[in-house]
Amino acid sequence: MSELSSYEKLRQMEEKGGKVPSLGTQSPEMHIKRTPGELVFDTANVILLGIICLLMVYPFWYVLVLSFNTGSDAAAGPLWLWPRVFTLENYKYVFGYEALQIAYRTTLTRVVTGPFLTVGVNMCVGYALSKHWLPARRQIILFMIMPMFFGGSIISTYIVYAKLGLMNNFLVYILPGCFQFFNMVIMRTFIEGIPIDIEESAMLDGAGYGRVFWQFVLPLSTPILACFGFFSVCNHWLDLQTNLIYVTDRKMQTLQYMLYQVINSAEAAYFMEASSPEAVARSLEAMSNNTVPTPEVIKMTVMVVVTFPILMVYPFFQRSFIKGMLVGAVKA
Amino acid sequence: MAQLGSKAALKESLRGRLRRGWPLYFFLLPGIIACITFQYLPMFSNYIAFLDYNFNNGWFGLASPFAGFKNFETFITNPSFWPLVSRTVIYSLCLLLFSFPVSLVFALCLNELRSEGYKRIVQTLSYVPHFVSWVTVAGLFYMFLSTDRSGLINNLLELFGFQRHPYMQNANNFLPFLIVSEVWKELGWGTIIYLASLTGIDPQLYEAAMVDGATRWQRCLHITLPSLMPTTSVLLIFALGRMFSNNFDQIFNMQNPLIRAKTDTLNIHIYYRGVVNQQYAYSAAVGLFTGVVSLILVVLTNALTTKISETGVF
Repeated sequence: MSELSSYEKLRQMEEKGGKVPSLGTQSPEMHIKRTPGELVFDTANVILLGIICLLMVYPFWYVLVLSFNTGSDAAAGPLWLWPRVFTLENYKYVFGYEALQIAYRTTLTRVVTGPFLTVGVNMCVGYALSKHWLPARRQIILFMIMPMFFGGSIISTYIVYAKLGLMNNFLVYILPGCFQFFNMVIMRTFIEGIPIDIEESAMLDGAGYGRVFWQFVLPLSTPILACFGFFSVCNHWLDLQTNLIYVTDRKMQTLQYMLYQVINSAEAAYFMEASSPEAVARSLEAMSNNTVPTPEVIKMTVMVVVTFPILMVYPFFQRSFIKGMLVGAVKA
Repeated sequence: MAQLGSKAALKESLRGRLRRGWPLYFFLLPGIIACITFQYLPMFSNYIAFLDYNFNNGWFGLASPFAGFKNFETFITNPSFWPLVSRTVIYSLCLLLFSFPVSLVFALCLNELRSEGYKRIVQTLSYVPHFVSWVTVAGLFYMFLSTDRSGLINNLLELFGFQRHPYMQNANNFLPFLIVSEVWKELGWGTIIYLASLTGIDPQLYEAAMVDGATRWQRCLHITLPSLMPTTSVLLIFALGRMFSNNFDQIFNMQNPLIRAKTDTLNIHIYYRGVVNQQYAYSAAVGLFTGVVSLILVVLTNALTTKISETGVF
């Protein structure tokens, strides 16, 4: 492992039928007969891990079930596996709520712009620092690593951001986290593994660093770009603190903050308020069908709407983030 | 191998390297600017902990009168000082103590699975809770433990003949809930780094051990586990360094007004005093205090792990 650079290792994996082997070592003695003790252990292991998986997934299933059940019925008796009285009414109420639409717009803007910025900044720095001969390289690294050990507290950061005009400013969502030392180091390690001959011959042909970076380094780093792009999307989607501390404007709140309010204050009740003619019509219809949502099912529905998009996406990125972690583990 | 070109370049004169590499500094520029603005400025503005700070007093409020250690005194003589500090330490230590071994054991269990397909499924499913926010996790806890009909846990307990009980409103339950939620959320994710370092183990070690007649348990104990120790110690150092600044989201979301006074940690205290009540200088002092303590912790643990396992981060 240590002789091969991470880049070459990943290349080799791709050549083996484009499949990244699942993590962990493979016991070499697949065909040797198991002792009774081992058999018991193996069976117990399989069952235990199955139970753990169930514990990880069932809560989300339960939330999903409640969000598709009518409020009055959910309040009548416990539900376990399946909605008893199916309805889409809860979702109609939730999506009709204007504050949630605004929160969706803010979060989506953030999730689209933030990762580009983060990955771009970190890749640029990583590329420059992959040149070991660069004068003052060590000093720059030292400069960048220092805040990892002693930095500002919540309040000193708050004061600075307030003075910089970042309060109630959309930029506070994407700018402060754009440089991350650890991610940069992993990207640098990856870039160092790219064969340098390509770069040198390109530079002999008169290409500058910018061109080399854009035309060779970036395209050859797609695995790591996908990995950190996805991590960044997750961070932006899941972040609550930024909104909590720096943004009070309701026109700029994020989905997580929305969910926080729905769970912790009486916000869920507002969903039922009829503010527009359509809302009035909707609530009249719901009343006649006996499908008026309760705060409980509204909470569940908002939770589904806020939580599930990321859960739908991550299995597709699993390959790429595991690759990224492999590169990171080599470093550690 | 890939560095042949740069080795030659290292021998070049400084002037030659500068002439060759000056455009690269433009690549560094965004990172350096971000570092200064978002990390160094907040670091230096810790200085307001020594001021009788007024936000609008001169540029940056720096014309505020100097107060020396007054703010620190207020904090240390505060009757809630010891409860806050001890709670912060206990919460973080307990979370570390539980989440580390559990992930390690889970990784070993996964590693022993024989079916590749099953292993993949288990891995994918166990990552799920990592991709939800603490708002959601706390929400799940509150809903499942609520006394009304959507309270899953209470429904279950009632099924077995127990009373419905508002568990989240008892401050004594808070720490166990923190631990359970932490383990639930990060169990699967925590294994990735271990499994990744397992791929680095030389298979010949296992073969040699088998020739010598080592059982599966012995191989696990004497080969797999020791190979994971360097990774574990590095992870531990970082975790200890973040001990005081971690867990804000988790604790903040799991709290409720009924138990807040009994479950505040330093960070939550800083948030409510500083951001909500705008006592900037006082909370900056508390923040600086935690920062200095964390720094000492990092240095100490690094020294310790270097001594024990010869792997440190410095």
